[in-house]
Amino acid sequence: MSPRVALTLLAAGLASAGAVPAFAQEAADEPQVAGTLVRWFTDSDHVSVRSLSGDWVWPLARASALTFHYNNEKVLIPAVSAPPGTQDAIDAITTASRPISGNAFEDFVKQRNEVEGEYARGPAAVNYYVSSEADYVAQQLGGRWSRDFRQQSANLSLGSSYGWDQIAPAQDDDTNTGDARKTTLHWNAVMTEVVSPSLLLRYGVEYNLVNGLQHNPYRNVYAGGTNVPERHPDARQRRDAFVRANQALPNRASLKLSYRLYNDDWGVTSHEVGTRLSQYVTRGLSARWEYRWYTQTAATFFRDSYASVNGVGGYLTGDYRLGELSSHLFGAALRADLEAFAPTRAFVRRMTLWVDLERYFNSNNYSANVVETGVDFRFP
Amino acid sequence: MKGRPCILALVAVLLALAAGGCATVPVKPWQRERLVDPIVAFKSEAREDARKMKTFEAREGSTGGVGGAGGGCACK
Repeated sequence: MSPRVALTLLAAGLASAGAVPAFAQEAADEPQVAGTLVRWFTDSDHVSVRSLSGDWVWPLARASALTFHYNNEKVLIPAVSAPPGTQDAIDAITTASRPISGNAFEDFVKQRNEVEGEYARGPAAVNYYVSSEADYVAQQLGGRWSRDFRQQSANLSLGSSYGWDQIAPAQDDDTNTGDARKTTLHWNAVMTEVVSPSLLLRYGVEYNLVNGLQHNPYRNVYAGGTNVPERHPDARQRRDAFVRANQALPNRASLKLSYRLYNDDWGVTSHEVGTRLSQYVTRGLSARWEYRWYTQTAATFFRDSYASVNGVGGYLTGDYRLGELSSHLFGAALRADLEAFAPTRAFVRRMTLWVDLERYFNSNNYSANVVETGVDFRFP
Repeated sequence: MKGRPCILALVAVLLALAAGGCATVPVKPWQRERLVDPIVAFKSEAREDARKMKTFEAREGSTGGVGGAGGGCACK
């Protein structure tokens, strides 16, 4: 399918979302909810990310709703730690994935802000996303439509979006990438089924057509005895299929299983298996354990080292994410609905608190820790 | 096995699941109490899943699995 046809379909979907008749329902069933969370990410390269985000859901009359999401991130990439003038320092600077102009021996800090809004009415929704940082602005317009079947035991959702990113690389002493663009066309079809009174099933397929700059504009690759700017193909077709099953267990517990298969035309094929086991410790307080396993093959043009400055077919990469990789993630979370603990306190009983800890590590000697804590508040 | 045949095989399995689901008796609304519990429902973890997808996208070579494109950023 050509991008022009896809864009036409997307526009038709967005138009139908605005024009679709709303359900006869006059009052919203769901409460208005506001939530906020803080997230800390630290990894073995001493990169840290602090996220502060907020989410609001406003149910409206006539089966419609507005949702709003905001996120502010502060990213810290540490200074080159090797002594100045050494080969280690030179290698670290030339292969860096962030801009270095002048002093490489000080920390690099950047901020990113993202805003997302969605309007849903009946079975259709439209959404808009924008993310802004000093050298990168991303925008995305999307829509989805869903329909219930079989006495609301099954739901089919069709979605599409178009994203356009503007990239304006910052000053970097050893690369010279000009302004660039990247576009992403996305389609998905997702089916959700109530299989039994204790089993939910969701499965779907997704497709992304990406065009434009897809390599790091600041990174060099050692090839043919010299340093060459990284170069990836301009086009990438990405597709995946996934299935998820949520099973309620007898003793106030649940088991969630998921599998995803991904493939693209760069040669990357991946498998992901996820499990989550949740259990109520007492009324209103639940604990969750999580494990995720992931493995992928390498892109066809990925090499540990390149003999020629032309790489493989004209492409070179220093991105380990395009090599063979496997990873594990272990997580634990606690969630407390305060209505169970303070049912007579008008303010407190409307809150849900949660905390989530994760440990991630992969076959590239990389590891990361994530701590997340948040609160949701249900308005009267 | 190459990735594309794998995807097609999985899509065939998913279509079979959809067809199989049509043959069962629909679960009545009053039988779904356990399915709306936050520890069971898909909806309760949707935002968390989207956040995690973004984290994994920044550290691995694939994407997807939550039924949406996610937004762009320089971390990809």
